[in-house]
Amino acid sequence: MFALPEKESRAPSTCPGPASTQDLDSNCGDGLERECSRKPDQKLPELYGVGDPTAGFSSNSSHLSSRGGIIKWFWDSAEAGYRTYHMDEYDEDKNPSGIINLGTSENKLCFDLLSKRLSQSDMLRVEPALLQYPDWRGHLFLREEVARFLSFYCKSPAPLQAENVVVLNGCASVFSALATVLCEVGEAFLIPAPYYGAITQHVCLYGNVRLVSVYLDSEVTGPDTRPFQLTVEKLEMALQGANSQGIKVKGLILINPQNPLGDIYSPAELQNFLEFAKRHELHVMVDEVYMLSVFEESVGYRSVLSLERLPDPQRTHVMWATSKDFGMSGLRFGTLYTENRDVATAVASLCRYHGLSGLVQHQMAQLLRDRDWINQVYLPENHARLKAAHTYVAGELRALGIPFLSRGAGFFIWADLRKYLPEGSFEEERRLWRRFLDHKVLVSFGKAFECKEPGWFRLVFSDKAHRLCLGMQRVRQVLEGKSQVAEDPPACQTQEPRDRHRNCALRSQDNPSLGEDLPVK
Amino acid sequence: MDETRDGEGSSQPVEAKTKAQGMSHQSDVLPCDQLRDQVIGNQSSHTQLMETLLHLRQTVDDCITQLTTRPPQLDLPLEEQRHNQATGEQEAFLRRVVNLLQSGAMWGLGLQAPRPTLGPRDDAGGGQQAQLSRQLDQLVHQLSHLEVAFVSHDLSNRGIDISAFERSKFQDFKTYQGDKYHEDKNTMGFINLGVSENKLCTDLMTERLSRSDMNHLEDALLQYSDQRGQPFLREEVARFLTYYCKSPARLDPENVVVLSGCCSVFSALATVLCDPGEALLTPTPFFGGLVMGSYLYSKVELMPVHLDSEITDGSARPFQLTVDKLEQALLEATLKGKKVRGLLLINPQNPLGDVYSRDSLEEYLEFAKRYNLHVIIDELYMLSVFDDSVTFRSVLSMESLPDPNRTHMIWGTSKDFGISGFRFGALYTHNKEVASAVSSFGFLNGISGITQYKLCRLLQDREWIDKVYLPTNHSRLKAAHRYITNKLKALKIPFLNRGSGLYVWMNLKEYLQPCTFEEELLLHHRFLGNKLILSPGKTYMCKEPGWFRLIFSDKPLPLKLAMHRFYEVLAEQKRDLRVKQLEDPQKE
Repeated sequence: MFALPEKESRAPSTCPGPASTQDLDSNCGDGLERECSRKPDQKLPELYGVGDPTAGFSSNSSHLSSRGGIIKWFWDSAEAGYRTYHMDEYDEDKNPSGIINLGTSENKLCFDLLSKRLSQSDMLRVEPALLQYPDWRGHLFLREEVARFLSFYCKSPAPLQAENVVVLNGCASVFSALATVLCEVGEAFLIPAPYYGAITQHVCLYGNVRLVSVYLDSEVTGPDTRPFQLTVEKLEMALQGANSQGIKVKGLILINPQNPLGDIYSPAELQNFLEFAKRHELHVMVDEVYMLSVFEESVGYRSVLSLERLPDPQRTHVMWATSKDFGMSGLRFGTLYTENRDVATAVASLCRYHGLSGLVQHQMAQLLRDRDWINQVYLPENHARLKAAHTYVAGELRALGIPFLSRGAGFFIWADLRKYLPEGSFEEERRLWRRFLDHKVLVSFGKAFECKEPGWFRLVFSDKAHRLCLGMQRVRQVLEGKSQVAEDPPACQTQEPRDRHRNCALRSQDNPSLGEDLPVK
Repeated sequence: MDETRDGEGSSQPVEAKTKAQGMSHQSDVLPCDQLRDQVIGNQSSHTQLMETLLHLRQTVDDCITQLTTRPPQLDLPLEEQRHNQATGEQEAFLRRVVNLLQSGAMWGLGLQAPRPTLGPRDDAGGGQQAQLSRQLDQLVHQLSHLEVAFVSHDLSNRGIDISAFERSKFQDFKTYQGDKYHEDKNTMGFINLGVSENKLCTDLMTERLSRSDMNHLEDALLQYSDQRGQPFLREEVARFLTYYCKSPARLDPENVVVLSGCCSVFSALATVLCDPGEALLTPTPFFGGLVMGSYLYSKVELMPVHLDSEITDGSARPFQLTVDKLEQALLEATLKGKKVRGLLLINPQNPLGDVYSRDSLEEYLEFAKRYNLHVIIDELYMLSVFDDSVTFRSVLSMESLPDPNRTHMIWGTSKDFGISGFRFGALYTHNKEVASAVSSFGFLNGISGITQYKLCRLLQDREWIDKVYLPTNHSRLKAAHRYITNKLKALKIPFLNRGSGLYVWMNLKEYLQPCTFEEELLLHHRFLGNKLILSPGKTYMCKEPGWFRLIFSDKPLPLKLAMHRFYEVLAEQKRDLRVKQLEDPQKE
């Protein structure tokens, strides 16, 4: 039932070269988000790709089941990149030459506001009902609040219903649960690539569901088009391709605002994609986890819940969480909104594995209810800070002559570093990523997002100014080639002047780097 | 759970079909502890309903026979056949519906149950018979509509299984939620002595959790953390378990993984230790919620090791687990072609309240080692041993484990600290591979950083735990236990008198005539009819009908009221039995 690849037959076709057997190859910069994949490099332009996260895997564990071995492999492959970062995390005081994380998509700009709000007395209520088994869908008071919140911020034409809300511990869980209840083992979802790669693992771990990438091109093919534009034709072709391989596709995943592109779908586009899905009886999972992180007012973001009429409401499932929009990825609060009661009920049944503490549910309800604070304090400030950070990083990249995509939403810039890869291969991409890491800055490479063109990187900018400046200095150093010469590691890291990093102009004093070939510990 | 796979093929429809058949023939093995825990119903119509359901099952069986003998394309347009891969699927569905109905979901589905008749059950006249069959036709007709809504091409087969499970439970849960007992507001509401929760110390816990040290906030708590859990919490769990499990050596935080509830830990463990269809041995009766834990996501089966209430040669007490029984169950499973990967133990046992002696534990572990079986040992109630004369020995207290790499211990705060709503469970294992593999689930089964901090503070406060919480909790548990057991003694109801856990395992065989699981279910419904929720033995896969689990860890007032209702139902039951006894000879 769990599709373990046949190692012998699979191995030759999936190993692009000896390099792929190294541990670090699957450590895609974004250790925390577990964005990892291990697909063969594509030589010819492909329209779609069937993801098989377990290809190339081999296990000889005597203690684990076969699927247990694969699951452990997920952990190991992500763990190494993660370990590298966590063993040497940057700290202004204690480890100023540690690794700066521009890889994990977290908003670290508003902790001051959040901690103040979460410490107010209304947040601290403890009562017996919160300590006991809840309704598995989530406490009613929270589901009601989520429905009101989404009605308001998604601008839904009619009030949304608490009955359609299921609360889980994060959107990862929503993906996992939806994959399990919508697909049989081995079935698949379509997803436009590049995409947030962790979804591969979310749908695979419990559900053993695969992703079929709908490859998008960076090249602009005509007027009124943009790089990496998703079209219905591309969806159709990918679907046909998957069907021709005998893969049953059950749904389509859309991320809006898109991660890593920062793209936003117009209502017309959205409508077209939904119509496409309806034609083929596909479920559509719309991940709107960045919906309030649109910091450019001119962008005009529209939630799928704002559409006057959904083409196929019974097959449209929307997810949102506080992880990104409220900078609380560690809080583990995510929610599913679906009019399909069967789906809601089935997902709720899995909530015994994905529950959230009653006390935290209370806090979330209080937070979402406080419209004044959200509208007048949090969102304006958050957007202003995101904008400033974005402006800074965008400026740095322009100065380096690096093309990038960013449309005023999300926490990241999708940067085109192809000019730094002479051969344009994924090996080079990995090597460049590795060089960034050696120079103590963690970014994410395009392969981790199933991007089919080597050379794209995601840079997260939603961090405090001093870390961001230092991170960008290191990026610049690597790209300007200053780092090609191996230097001695700093003799004593702690002797660096403490206030140095507060001044972004002090580029030349950035810490010395490790040599390219030195192993990272 | 002896689901025999007669079609050993691996293709999906066959799988689904055989599974569904297994379920219908042995609806007792449905993973549904809580389902039955919370089944609510209208007592007066239950007797009728049971009969109706038997008829309905027959009707559905007929339908299925028709379906399977007719070529599918006659029934459906071509495009629809894509979704109905095989008639087996329909069959599976219908069987599920029947199971659902039987498990009490009916009221929520808007189906009209036949009206209860006033006379004794076997008095249904010809006219009524006809009416009944009309209603049955109607039911079946409605079912076919239901199928559209229910299968609706939206859910996968496993999704339907999951949904069916939840749906049945959910409707009951809604009824219960809408009519819960409340001291002031709803004294007539349902009293739940079915779900294992400790409500005796909410005052202490509320006070402790409200102290200012609990409300610390730092940026790390709001950000992604180590998937195994925040290092500070894993360190605290290691210290806590070292102390309370009396571990000979300090436990290592690296061996700890924390997830959102023990259910998640168990599910993750089952997933990484077993492939779908493989099995774990489980002495029964046992906490049925674990069937679900292993089943919903990971499709791992539990093979029961049936224990007897009678004391025989090999055993010194009722329901005693012996290595002989384990050997026998393993052999049987192997003969059936089941791959058994491990042994699941609960200590202190739920629902028996038994505590394994050190020697027994050692024997079980040695048995597992002989066959290279993993041992998952659930010690969720380890601090709820309230009788001082009972000595609980944690598996972590053993000087040397026979097979440390295959021994995995689960603990959580739900029972011992009465905070099931916190969703916290911990795994302790020496096996790094297993720990790593389980850690992969940290994303899907993670705990909020804020909650992790509070838990850490709680577990750290040894002073409060040892001097305030545990003594108070134990004395309250003891008092509640004494109250309940005195009542049972007065009613001359046999029960296992153990000094641990939150429950009493009692034998109501006397009140069943004949002593069957059908009668057990009817009695259960009778309790429900009187707004009292208890758990029938069937949900624990007990092989003898008549056993019930009663949770005593509730406040004195609801407990007293519950026992009053309990008494009323039994008196009523007794009266009915007497009437029945009088009538039976007359008929002959």
